[in-house]
Order: sequence, then structure tokens, then C-alpha cells
Amino acid sequence: MNKKFCILAIGICLSMTLTAFSGCVEESTKIELKNPDTLVYYTFGDAKTLDPADAYDSASAEGIFSIYEGLITYKGDDLDTFYPSLATSWDVSEDSKTWTFNLREGVKFSNGNDFTAEDVKYSFDRVLTMNSPESGVAWILQQSMDLDSTKIIDDYTIEINLIEPYGGFLSTIAYTVGFIVDKDYVEEHGGIVADTENEYLKLNPIGTGPYMVDHWTRNTELVLVQNPDYWGGWDGKHVKKVVIKYANEAATRILALKNGDADIAVIPNENLEDVEDDEGIIVIAYDSFDLVMAEMNTLSDNSMYLANPEVRRALCYAFNYQSAIDDAYVGYMSRVAGAIPNGMPYYDSQNNGVPVYDYDLEEAEQILDEAGFTLNEDDQRFDGATIRIFYNAGNTERYKMALSFQEELNKIGILSSVIAENWPQLLHRMYTTADWDLIFIGWGPDYNDPDDYVFPFVASSDVNGDTFNTGYKNESVDEYLLEGKYSADPNVRENAYKNAFDIYIQDPSMIYIGQRQFIRPKRDWVQGYYYNPVRDWYWYDYYKE
Amino acid sequence: MKTWEYIVRRLLLLIPVLIGVTIITFVISHVIPADPAIAFAGGPKAQPETIERIREELHLNEPLLVQYFYYLNDLLHLNFGKSYLESRPVLESITQYFPATFELTIFAMLISVPLGILGGIISAIRRNKLSDHITRIIAILGYSMPIFWLALMLQYLLAYQFPILPLEGRLSIGLIAPQSITGLYVIDSILTGNINTLSASLYHLILPSFTLGFATMALLLRMTRSSMLEVMGMDYVRTARAKGLSERVVIMKHALRNALIPTITVSGLQFGALLGGAVLTESIFNWPGMGRFAANAVMGLDFNSVMGFTIIVAIIYVIANLIVDLLYAVIDPRVKLGGE
Repeated sequence: MNKKFCILAIGICLSMTLTAFSGCVEESTKIELKNPDTLVYYTFGDAKTLDPADAYDSASAEGIFSIYEGLITYKGDDLDTFYPSLATSWDVSEDSKTWTFNLREGVKFSNGNDFTAEDVKYSFDRVLTMNSPESGVAWILQQSMDLDSTKIIDDYTIEINLIEPYGGFLSTIAYTVGFIVDKDYVEEHGGIVADTENEYLKLNPIGTGPYMVDHWTRNTELVLVQNPDYWGGWDGKHVKKVVIKYANEAATRILALKNGDADIAVIPNENLEDVEDDEGIIVIAYDSFDLVMAEMNTLSDNSMYLANPEVRRALCYAFNYQSAIDDAYVGYMSRVAGAIPNGMPYYDSQNNGVPVYDYDLEEAEQILDEAGFTLNEDDQRFDGATIRIFYNAGNTERYKMALSFQEELNKIGILSSVIAENWPQLLHRMYTTADWDLIFIGWGPDYNDPDDYVFPFVASSDVNGDTFNTGYKNESVDEYLLEGKYSADPNVRENAYKNAFDIYIQDPSMIYIGQRQFIRPKRDWVQGYYYNPVRDWYWYDYYKE
Repeated sequence: MKTWEYIVRRLLLLIPVLIGVTIITFVISHVIPADPAIAFAGGPKAQPETIERIREELHLNEPLLVQYFYYLNDLLHLNFGKSYLESRPVLESITQYFPATFELTIFAMLISVPLGILGGIISAIRRNKLSDHITRIIAILGYSMPIFWLALMLQYLLAYQFPILPLEGRLSIGLIAPQSITGLYVIDSILTGNINTLSASLYHLILPSFTLGFATMALLLRMTRSSMLEVMGMDYVRTARAKGLSERVVIMKHALRNALIPTITVSGLQFGALLGGAVLTESIFNWPGMGRFAANAVMGLDFNSVMGFTIIVAIIYVIANLIVDLLYAVIDPRVKLGGE
């Protein structure tokens, strides 16, 4: 190779390197507002369906919450009160079993059809009959309703008779599964077939909500436009068009937000520092209802050590919560007292909202020593047996927590291994085998009621709880949780959840690590934004200025 | 044997190839000791009956051999099964993603093949001159530079720092795709006379097709250069020169034809490989193509999608190889297809 070639080559490489770094030193310039009438949200993962009777993923809900409506709704970030939507007022009988709703008159679906009580009965019965073959979401209504529950009193009055009184009933019908479809439209397009999805409704939604679908290119974008007949009207400030863009690569979303293509974008926690110093980008963290936990396998034939409640208590003390918050979640997580997230009703029934377990290795060691799990001659507990910690491959936060936990366990003489598995494989392991000790898991809300958290986590499988297959069973806890579930009296529920917690927390099946924060960096021209943990997006309320 | 007979024979060969491919992929994807039904049904929130329904649909409760025959039977009816990740038929996904990848590949090849061959020729005939050095450095950069880095750099520079090109996607935000005839936005836009989508789709093709074509260009450049150098040193080229033919004729008519044979083989295979989807380029430029689809399917254990993807890629490879073989005969009359 001759000299000229070398010089040239070095020159080109140098200039490429300089170009690569040029961005790092440049000041970010002020970006102009693009498309004032169109709100662009960059996220990842396509919606699966726009049929409210079968939608159970957050990407689908992003569209459905603005296309369809339920009888009642939320307003802004207020979680304490239900507001009228398709119902103008409602009443409940003394025994908490019969609900009467007065419906709003003069509402039209976006195809021009009138909304009446027929549509309400049809929609609820449709969910129960169709039985959400894709997603299984129908359980949310099925737990308190059957085909005889909904009665039409007149065109604008409906009565719902619950199978059992249910404390979370209003929350369940404020979720997308309780949203109202147009009977005539559905009947024209396939009707209701038991246990079968409706392919047409999946792609072609018609609701009463403020927006309707302009087009949905799968895995590319979902575009919503204003429904001109919306009963709520278009006074005030609203955007004409909403574009939900699906871009799986985080780097693409970051650049889209930086150059102003995106008004709001999903940015992973570890990349927030790339955008938070930009002029014109706002990063605010809100407490979400997303819990992060480590579940422990409590069945003695799986792990003779974890079957012992004292060992599980010791592990709760051995977990370094602050390190998980600071290192794994870069600060965007707060501690949580138990299975009910902060912000949900009855959070304070859990030790007044104060976590019972803190990071305390000495306490952990003492508990283990007293329980007879002392160190052996190699300074190891459990005779050198290994606790296997699983997480789903690719989840860096859980990976960091797993490594940190392994280190802490090592300090108190417990050997452990950290194992990554693809999500489907890990689920298979969790549900069909006994072959695991500890798994990092998470949970997000279906609707705003503790029964959607504490019951599936803590109640035993005998009463249809134990969603994470920990094998946990405590009869007194089960009794209290059932009492809380089937009561609509806040005092009864408060006490039931408190009693259940007090017993459970001394015999825990999970390490409650924290409650994640919800962060959607946005341009400063996005106005009217707020965060509601059970209804992430409601496009009607946002505008650009 | 006539050329068409040869083509038919080669196409018939597709049948055993496809059977082989389905057996291998079926076995590999199904021996993983995991049942994806729980994940498809929604993970921890899955309802037992949903899981059971999916198991039945996928025949997961049957022995592997029975599962395979169910699959083959569906396939004969052109039913690729259902993609649980996308919650729609696999064929529908492929019909959407394949044209996107096809369009991107064609444009990448349109950039890489002429530039690669031209660069190779210049580099060979001006050996050790400045232009040779420059083209060789470009070639080295082309195949040593990680494609995701090139993609990110181009995106950063040309879509963010100096925003002259679009950041991602096939069309501008919110623009409705032209009515689907071929699925290739450029062609469909021309057919339907839609200027907006035509300009938008061409504009969106520039960065990803350049990124994708760059490495191929580098490869073709190196190949053309070395085979040109080899051919130029041969006796018949010296004879041609001795006959007094102009340098242009010697290079274009005598040397290049022979030198192109390996280049064509590589181009054909490269075309097939690119059609299989370029995961990195497609991910970074958010191009809704086969690569992104296949990568998600593999991670999510979406058997049907993985199988559908593999079958399509196998067919493409066989056809690409066939076209390459046919081109040999065009370029070099000594090559007789199928033998005498």
C-alpha cells in the first residue's frame, strides 16, 4: 500500500469521525412548530385491534379511548370521581346490586346512527357472548355481569343487575371493554358470533367519541380525524388530526422528537438525558400504576427454602430498593407499600402507605439465623443451594436489578444465578413448570380498583387469584380479599384490605420493588396535557400552540 | 435442452426445496421447549380458555408430526396460518411487508450495481492512480462500516442536523398510501397518477436505499476491480489490443463481459439476501418490511410468521439463482444451460 493511499484513507476516516462527533458539540437550535392542527405521537408496538370488545393492550386503548365512549368517564387526571359520558346520571340500589343509568339523548355515532339503550345492552351482551377470543378481556365484565344483567327500561334508561355486588363495577365499565358500539352497524357487519372475533370491527371502528379513524396502516401509523357530529362539540382548542406513529427503534423516536416531527414520544428512561436538555422539550415524570415486583415461588416441592415465609421475609430485607430506583430505573420509580399502587383507592390500608421492608442486610441475616438457615463452613446458607433469578431477555432494568440482588444475596451467604429468557419461554416456565425460584415481573392497570391488583397477586388460585403462579395460599387473606371484592361499601373494603395486608406482609409472596413513573417527553407547544394512569391518552383535550 | 425447459425444470426443483425448508424450520421452531400460547394470550393477564383456544388452533397438544401435516395441509391451501403477534393472517402481513422490502431492495440495487461496477472498472483501469485510491477507500469503508452506524449517521446528519431528507417511514406523516396495486408505493403512485405519494415515497427511499446499497456497492466494486484486473492481464485482451482495437472496445466488449460473471453471481445472491429483509436498516428507518417482521416473529416465537417468512425467502433465493444462471448464458455464449 503506498503513501498516498494511506494519507487519503486516514484523512477520510478522520473526517468521518469528526462528522460523527459534530452533533455532540453543536447547540440545539430552536425548532419551529410544525403542523399546528395535527398532533403526532411517536410510540412503538402496533395496536392489535380497534374493537373494544376484544382490546386488552395499551396500544389499542390509545385509539379506542378517543373513538368510542362508555357510560361514564374520567376527567383530566382526577381518579376519585366518575363523570357523565353517554350516561348523564346513575343510581345504585341499597344492596349495591342494581345500577340504573339515564342515557344522554341526541348522541349520534360517527356514521350518523342514533345512540339508544338498545346499543348499551347490545354492547355489554356482545362482550359476554363474543367472549374476547383474542385477548380474554371479557373477564372484566363477566365477573359481575351475565346475559340477564342488562335491561332496557326505555330508550334512554338502562338497568344493570349485577350477579354479586362488586366494588370495582364502575371502574370496569369506564375501561374500553365497557364501551358502546352501534348495534345496527355491528349487525350489518357480521353481528355477534359466540367465541369468535369480528374481523370487520377490528379494523373499522364506529363510535360516539370525538375522533374517528382516517386510516390505519398496520405497524406504521394510526391516523384519527375529528368526528364532526361529536356531541361534546368542537368549541375550544382541539387538534384536527392525531397521528400515532409506530417506530420500534428508540433512536428514531428520539430524533423525531428533537427535530419536531414528533410532538410527544416514548423515550426509554436511559435515553431521557438525550432530550431533557433540549430547548423546547419538556420531560415530566408522573406516578403511574405500573408496579415492579419480584415474585417468589412458594411451593415447597419447587424450592424448599422459599417455601418458608421467614426466608421470603429475609429476601424482602435483602433487596436494595434504592439501588433499583437509582441505577435500574435512573430515578424514575418510587417505592410502593404493597400490591395496591399509590394513587389507587385504599392505598393507605397498607401500613398507612409506608413500606414495611427496607434494605437491611443485618435484619435479613438475623431472620435467617433464627429460622435455622445458618452459614455453613463455606460461609454459605441453604447448604450452598442456588436461588435462580429469572428475567425476560432484553429488559435492561430487570437485568440490572437481578445483578444487584445477586450481589446482595452473596453478601449474606446465599448463592444465586441470574438467567435471561425470552418472554414466551419465561411465561411457559412460570405457568407450566415448577422450575424457577424468583422472577422479576410487572403489572399495569386494567381499571382503577385495588381488586385489579391485590386480588390477582395475593389471593390463592382456589379463589381464582394467583395470577403469577406463586403457589401462595393463606386462607384468612383469601377471606378478607373476597370481602373487599364483593362489597361496594368503602368502609368495609378499607378494613378488609387492611386486614388482608397485615397478615400477608408477614408472609409475603413478592418483593414489592416500586411504582414506575410515566414519562412522555413532549414539545413545549403541546398544551392541555395531563396524565391519567388508567386512561393514558385522551386526544380531545390536547392542542398545539 | 431449450432454455424454457431448463427454467421449468429449475422451477420444479422448488418443490423438494420447499418441502425441505418447511421440515427444517418446522422442527427447529417447534423443538424449543416453550409453548408460546401463554404469551400470545396476554402473558400474566391471559385467561385459561384463551390459552387453550390458541393451543388448539396451533395444534400444540398434538405430536410434532401431526402438527407438521396440519401445517402442510394448510399450506397447500395457501393458508400460512395466523400471526399471533400481529393478530391477523400471516399472508396479510407478508402482503404488506414484502412489497416494502422489494421496493427498498430494488432502489438499493439501482444505486449499488451501476456504481459498484463503474467504480470497479475505473479502479481497475486506473490502477494505483488517485481515482483508484479513492474508490478503494470507499469500498473499504463500505464493507467495514457497520450498517447501523452508517444508517444512524446519515439519519442524524441529513434528517436532523441538516434536515433535508425525511427521518423515517415510507411516506410523510399522515399521508394515505396510494391505492394498492403492486404494493410498491412508487409504482402504485404512477399507476394511480398520485403525484403527492410519488414524490413522498421517492423522497423517503433515498436514505434507506443508499444505506442498504452502500455495502453491496462496496462488495461489487471490489469484485469487479479484481476480476477486471485478472482479465486484463489475459492473452486474449493482449491480442485484442494488438489487433489495434481502441481501448474502449477492448475494455467494454472484451474484458468486461468476462469480468462481470462473478459480479453477476454476487449481485443475484445479494438481491436475494436483501429481499429477505435488512433488519437493521429497516429498524432504524422504521421501514415496515420483512426484516423487521421476521425479527419480531423470531423473538416472539410466532411460529407461523417465521415459517411464512422462511418459505418466501426460500422461493426468492431459488428464483434469484435461476435468474443469475440465465444471465450467465446471455453474457457468456459458451455457457450452455442444462448441458448438451
